[in-house]
Amino acid sequence: MNGPAEQFRPEQSQRTVRVVIVDDHAIFRSGLKADLDSRIEVVGEAGTVEQAIAVIAEAHPEVVLLDVHLPGGLGGGGREVISASAPLRGSTSFLALSVSDAAEDVVAVIRAGARGYVTKTISGLEISDAVIRVADGDAVFSPRLAGFVLDAFGTSPAEIADDELDRLSARELEVMRLIARGYSYKEVAKELFISIKTVETHVSAVLRKLQLSSRHELTKWAAQRRLL
Amino acid sequence: MTIATQRPPLVRSSDRIIAGVCIGLADHLGWPVKYVRLGMVLASFAGGAGLAFYAWLWVMVPTADESARRNSRRPASPIAPAVSLPPFAGPAPAAGAAPAPSWTPPAWAQGVPNGVNVRAPDVGAQPLPQSSPAPVFASWFRVRRIQYGKEILLGAGLLLVAAILIARQFGVEVPLGTLIPAAAILGGAAIAWMQLDETRRAGLVDKTKADQAGGWVRLAAGLALVVAGVLVMVSGSGSWEQTWLALLASIAVLGGVALVLLPWGLKFWKDLETERAGRVRETERAEIAAHLHDSVLQTLALIQRRAGSEQDVIRLARAQERELRTWLYRDSAKDSGLLAERIAAAAAEVEDAHGHAVDVVSVGDAAMTDRHEALVLAAREAMHNAARHGGGAVSVYLESSDTGSEVFVRDRGPGFDPDAVPEDRLGVKESIIGRMKRHGGTAVISSSSEGTEVRLKLPVEYADKAENRNGETRT
Repeated sequence: MNGPAEQFRPEQSQRTVRVVIVDDHAIFRSGLKADLDSRIEVVGEAGTVEQAIAVIAEAHPEVVLLDVHLPGGLGGGGREVISASAPLRGSTSFLALSVSDAAEDVVAVIRAGARGYVTKTISGLEISDAVIRVADGDAVFSPRLAGFVLDAFGTSPAEIADDELDRLSARELEVMRLIARGYSYKEVAKELFISIKTVETHVSAVLRKLQLSSRHELTKWAAQRRLL
Repeated sequence: MTIATQRPPLVRSSDRIIAGVCIGLADHLGWPVKYVRLGMVLASFAGGAGLAFYAWLWVMVPTADESARRNSRRPASPIAPAVSLPPFAGPAPAAGAAPAPSWTPPAWAQGVPNGVNVRAPDVGAQPLPQSSPAPVFASWFRVRRIQYGKEILLGAGLLLVAAILIARQFGVEVPLGTLIPAAAILGGAAIAWMQLDETRRAGLVDKTKADQAGGWVRLAAGLALVVAGVLVMVSGSGSWEQTWLALLASIAVLGGVALVLLPWGLKFWKDLETERAGRVRETERAEIAAHLHDSVLQTLALIQRRAGSEQDVIRLARAQERELRTWLYRDSAKDSGLLAERIAAAAAEVEDAHGHAVDVVSVGDAAMTDRHEALVLAAREAMHNAARHGGGAVSVYLESSDTGSEVFVRDRGPGFDPDAVPEDRLGVKESIIGRMKRHGGTAVISSSSEGTEVRLKLPVEYADKAENRNGETRT
């Protein structure tokens, strides 16, 4: 599902990232906690929407690992937690975590403000890497999410007259395609002869477009899949 | 009761002359058919009594088919036989088992660690032996009473009519002028109510039948006939003006009645809809339960038995996950048999064969042609190789657009040198590269120590450009 783990990056190994895990399955929470490596410190856990909002407000984590489907609240699940935690948006990032890879769930939670999306089947190392990346302000794209983006925005590059938000640039398309093909960020950088940082910039730009675009075709695409 | 049950049921035979009434009656009574028919004909001359009796039986007695269907429908519910049995054997365990779960879960769920949850089952168990047989008895008797009540009522009514007629014969003055309208009103109301009950039951038993246009047509036709008949009777000798007046008055009366009955009718209709919706939900739930049982529970059982073999457990879990995902998220709007689905099916096959996850991401879609068939086969071969030699998760990416379809198959294996593959190994050379070339496509294999990627490209030919179907239209 997700690309292989990035290589351990020494410059980030010194600090720990404070994380809150939100998932309604206690077994999964404890399993995930045991899987995360030493770079990550779990400062809180929650099992419902209300608990999550309270724990996040109290613990001020850098990253929230957020299940998409959560009981409680108004029934909005992870999306509701993100919008209720809007005041913390500057300091707290959200990484969505779900067993579902349906377009409805993925795109809805990204548009609500999550910085990335991973499925629950990926390894502890991969989740740890994703958490670090999100804590650094970058976006985490799984191959499937890249596929959704390409499906929604189309696979032809932007024309000049278009609204900047509505289409991916040629470079962004290339990056998305490689991620969809299962390349890790490092492999994408190598393939395109650019730095990892540039790859991350492109991915963040795509994430912003996905969150903010009101593009006609994206709306149509979403409507077909009963999103938004 | 015992005598009645020994007789064959009174049903109209399908081996009939007019309506099968006489044969049915003869079977039921154990008399020769000949005598029954003769009696019927003779009685017809006695003021038409035979005709009336025949017509009445025709209407009231079900045909053999109808009767069989009605009887077979009854024990469909697994609870029904236990409830309808005499109370000495069946009902006690059945009734005892039914309320018991509703009592115990609260005690378990609350789990209050004091004397309360110890006593709770006692409190629950106490009223059960007393209360449970009572409803069974009650319902049993109620059903009986209604069955008999109908017939007794009918018989009483008929006896009353006969008594009145006889009394008139003997010269006793009976106020028929008030009795007949009263009887008519009572009878009409009774029929209407019986009709209501019947349609309601029918509607609940068979939704589609209730929705049939035929039912409405029949209703309208019957209404028109009755109205016409009444009009003709009332104004048989009158002029058109009178008829119109009568019609107007009738419509006014009907409107008034409708006005009064409308809220009640709407409430009834809503009631019916709620019950229907409940039934639909119930069916849906049963379907989900059945599916989970057939798939997930079976797989979980298998996993428990194969817990020792990691490879088997992963394979089972992946296969089950894939199956459940298709069931949950399948896009019913999407056409099946298109390229993306074929690639996904090939990936599933490889996954099952090798036990390594094969993840497919597809963008856009294309209709299948012979050339696309070749693309699917080449992709499948590449996936097999990737799973066999790569030894890990395989990523597959399919992109279809106006210009053609591309498939990328990537693994994380140690890699190999495509030029060093011996000539006699046909897998790569023939099944992938050769096949793509023959169909006007290309296949590129790039391999390094970090993994291998097979890139298959199939450009659109002008011939099938028209039928190429894309995920979305792009300007």
